[in-house]
Amino acid sequence: MRRLAADVVVVGGGSTGAGVVRDAAMRGYTAVLVDRSDLAQGTTGRFHGLLHSGGRYVVSDPGSATECARENAVLSRIQAPAIERTGGLFVSVPGDDPGYGDRFLAGAAATGVPAREIPVAEALRREPRLNRGISRAIEVEDASVDGWQLVWGAVNSARAYGAKVLTYHPVTRIDIADGRVRAVHCHDQRRDEEVVIECAFVLNCAGPWAGRITDLAGLPPVPVIPGRGIMIALNHRVVNTVVNRLIYPTDGDILVPVHTVSVIGTTDVKESDPDHLPIPAAEVQQMLDAGERLIPGFRRARAVHAWAGSRPLIRDDRVAADDTRHMSRGMAVVDHLTRDGVAGLLTIGGGKLTTYRLMAEHIVDAMGDQRGERRPCRTADEEIPYAEGSRHYVVTHRLADREADRLDDQIVCECELMSRRMFTDLLHREPLATLDDLRRQLRLGMGPCQGGFCAGRAAGIAVTERVVDAERATGLLRLFLKNRWIGLWPILYGAQVRQTALDHWLYAGTLDIEHLPTPDQEVVR
Amino acid sequence: MRDVVVIGAGLAGLTAALRLARAGRSVTLVARGVGGLSLAQGTIDILGYTPERVLRPLDAVAAVPPEHPYAGLGPDAVAAAVTWLRDELGSELLVGDPAVNLHLPTALGALRPTALAQPSMVAADARGGLTYAVVGVRQLKDFPADLVAGNLARSTAPDGGPLGATAAWVDLPARPGEADPSGLTYARSLDDAAFADRFAVAVRDAAGAGDVVLLPGVLGVRPGAGRRLAELIGRPVAEVPLLPPSVPGLRLADALRARVAAAGVRILLGSAVTGFTADGDRVATVTVAAAGGPRALAASDFVYAPGGFESGALAVDSRGAIAETVFGLPLTAADAAGLVGPRYWAPHPLFEVGVRTDAAGRPVAGDKVVHPNLYVAGGILAGPEPWREKSGDGIAVATAVRAAAMIEGGAR
Repeated sequence: MRRLAADVVVVGGGSTGAGVVRDAAMRGYTAVLVDRSDLAQGTTGRFHGLLHSGGRYVVSDPGSATECARENAVLSRIQAPAIERTGGLFVSVPGDDPGYGDRFLAGAAATGVPAREIPVAEALRREPRLNRGISRAIEVEDASVDGWQLVWGAVNSARAYGAKVLTYHPVTRIDIADGRVRAVHCHDQRRDEEVVIECAFVLNCAGPWAGRITDLAGLPPVPVIPGRGIMIALNHRVVNTVVNRLIYPTDGDILVPVHTVSVIGTTDVKESDPDHLPIPAAEVQQMLDAGERLIPGFRRARAVHAWAGSRPLIRDDRVAADDTRHMSRGMAVVDHLTRDGVAGLLTIGGGKLTTYRLMAEHIVDAMGDQRGERRPCRTADEEIPYAEGSRHYVVTHRLADREADRLDDQIVCECELMSRRMFTDLLHREPLATLDDLRRQLRLGMGPCQGGFCAGRAAGIAVTERVVDAERATGLLRLFLKNRWIGLWPILYGAQVRQTALDHWLYAGTLDIEHLPTPDQEVVR
Repeated sequence: MRDVVVIGAGLAGLTAALRLARAGRSVTLVARGVGGLSLAQGTIDILGYTPERVLRPLDAVAAVPPEHPYAGLGPDAVAAAVTWLRDELGSELLVGDPAVNLHLPTALGALRPTALAQPSMVAADARGGLTYAVVGVRQLKDFPADLVAGNLARSTAPDGGPLGATAAWVDLPARPGEADPSGLTYARSLDDAAFADRFAVAVRDAAGAGDVVLLPGVLGVRPGAGRRLAELIGRPVAEVPLLPPSVPGLRLADALRARVAAAGVRILLGSAVTGFTADGDRVATVTVAAAGGPRALAASDFVYAPGGFESGALAVDSRGAIAETVFGLPLTAADAAGLVGPRYWAPHPLFEVGVRTDAAGRPVAGDKVVHPNLYVAGGILAGPEPWREKSGDGIAVATAVRAAAMIEGGAR
């Protein structure tokens, strides 16, 4: 057993937890972040990649719209390399009420969301694949954001301020005595060891899993309702600008160009278990139909992957419990002192990735209130250092990097232009990582071939670098392919069928991966 | 008007074209690409798993279930077809006994069963007590010597005996300053005797302990480099097929294509067949997307050997409809719903979908032949996922030989 001590334990390594641990550390608290798996593996890694301008909420949720507009500007300043300033358009396609545009513009003016109507011809010039029948187009400041880069940036900043980050450390118990939080117990899965962190505060940032954390503290249930949404990535950019339907928010109304792909989202279905989020065929069809309305021919484009994420909404009695889209997206901090009589435990729900920094500010403020002190929040003032510098992301940056090093380095993942050195550098920093953990930072295997060529290379390099042995490398490769499949089989149509057949020829056929010596137990982390 | 148009430039199409041309038929071979051989491992599989490892493939062919493509052929026809191919290409390119599987290391270190292999590979055939000196080339990212050796060392040979392996690396750019060549580029350099000698010396000096030196499958685009390397290295050498472009696969493709051309076949590559015209139930012409516009190719008989899902000959649209894309042939399933599921390692019935035929190899709808002068061969046939059971090459060769025989015999 290992013992640690901290002022505050942050539970959950998604965007909220990452923001909270950074904020707490910057205010001078000793902080430890724990997550049951890798960073940004839950909701933060399973969204459409949109950094909201606020436009989406100008009519339906004006408070959120204003927050999004402000935070969009803040994050673009402090985390530029995680953000591509694509710009956004709201367009009326045939059948949409063109009058909604007036309500939209009025809402934008009232909420402080920058928006400007542009001629349809100008919108079509910028995005030639758009439905030629659009009747209105409004320009906004939407951007695309890499949730993983956002989280890793915040966490690295927190570490620089002395915070500790423990991944693959699921919480097993929260000790409460005399009405106060005393300690958090975790299980270090990779060393199979119990870890006890003595602390006065626990900030529960577990998102859709927040109710499980309060259960571990023995508290009455916190009503978190996972709202599942599915997303589908096409293998290239059918648009270079975020394109939204100019309608009251509904399903399938956003198309986001992010990195080398474009992502259509999303649906919203109430679920009971955030660990088992299906990608129903009917919803895939619904997304393709929605894509077709924005971009004629969408169904003939190549889909490479699909995923489902879960919104961490806290039940709000003002709307019906099954209408998760219209619950407040505004964040809600639950103070368990007033609710349950337990000091030192706060739960945060709701919110969205765009406002993650602001959510963190609120919950750390709430902790200060309980402690009877107010240390000022500084997270909006200080740029987060990135290896890439402080320029905004551009989709071609890796092309430039590979042009520069093509004579002395190899490309391990051709689809995403990941070099061998990028891979080995991270591998040595994260020797316990799975290939999926590395993927989330490097985009290994996320392009059209979905790991067909690069996954085996990555496993081989990990052995050559003496980071793992052949048995674990084989297990990691099997795990990676199995996990890629989760997002592949629901969208197996068109050109991706060909690719998948080729990938099967390579792994099952040429490499005969199914007949490597079988492990006693499959590698799962 | 030709006697026969063959569609497809993979193992099945080349085999059918060669057989027919040798029998005196005028043949045009047309294909969208260059065929699938350069994507494959460059050996001839007959049957590797049922799903247990197969030691005697012809015996396993005799026992396949009735819906298997081999069921209508039988082991004798399969043996005859594969033996013909081996003898046609000669012992420079293919050796082995169709009745007995070899078990050759893969680039992950698995032991892959196959019936015929190139002479540059067979020294690695796994048997108890054998040890491998695996040697990687730093410039070639698709042969992870440490992983290969590690997996071989924890494997058991099919005869139940242990295997051993060591790993080592050579650092030898084929061209100065080239860090990331394809296997094909490297193989071209090894066709140069002076570079091959330097390579052999580097391998000899680097290789660890082991009975057989295991090298990446890039030992020359032309056959024969392996033998000379073995002499210089002083130990038996075996090359391991890599990911595409596969140099051993390319050797087979080059050799077959050269024979097809020499036999007088007119070859149109890079020319997709997009449709056909019929005369009654007979196929009259196929339409080819040629430079300058579509062009009709007329023939008495047609052999359709386009491959399966990997080539796009079989396709699934965004609503899940499965179709054969040129003739609209009936398939064993029309809807992909329920044919793929969440379990990666489980069978994927989608990839078993294909065309069913009569005993002559002609597509059928129910019991009825669709077009009496259209024969199919290779990966378009319905049957188990060929990559899992390692049967694609044997099915391609045997069904192509059948199609040619039926046309020669005037089956109607």
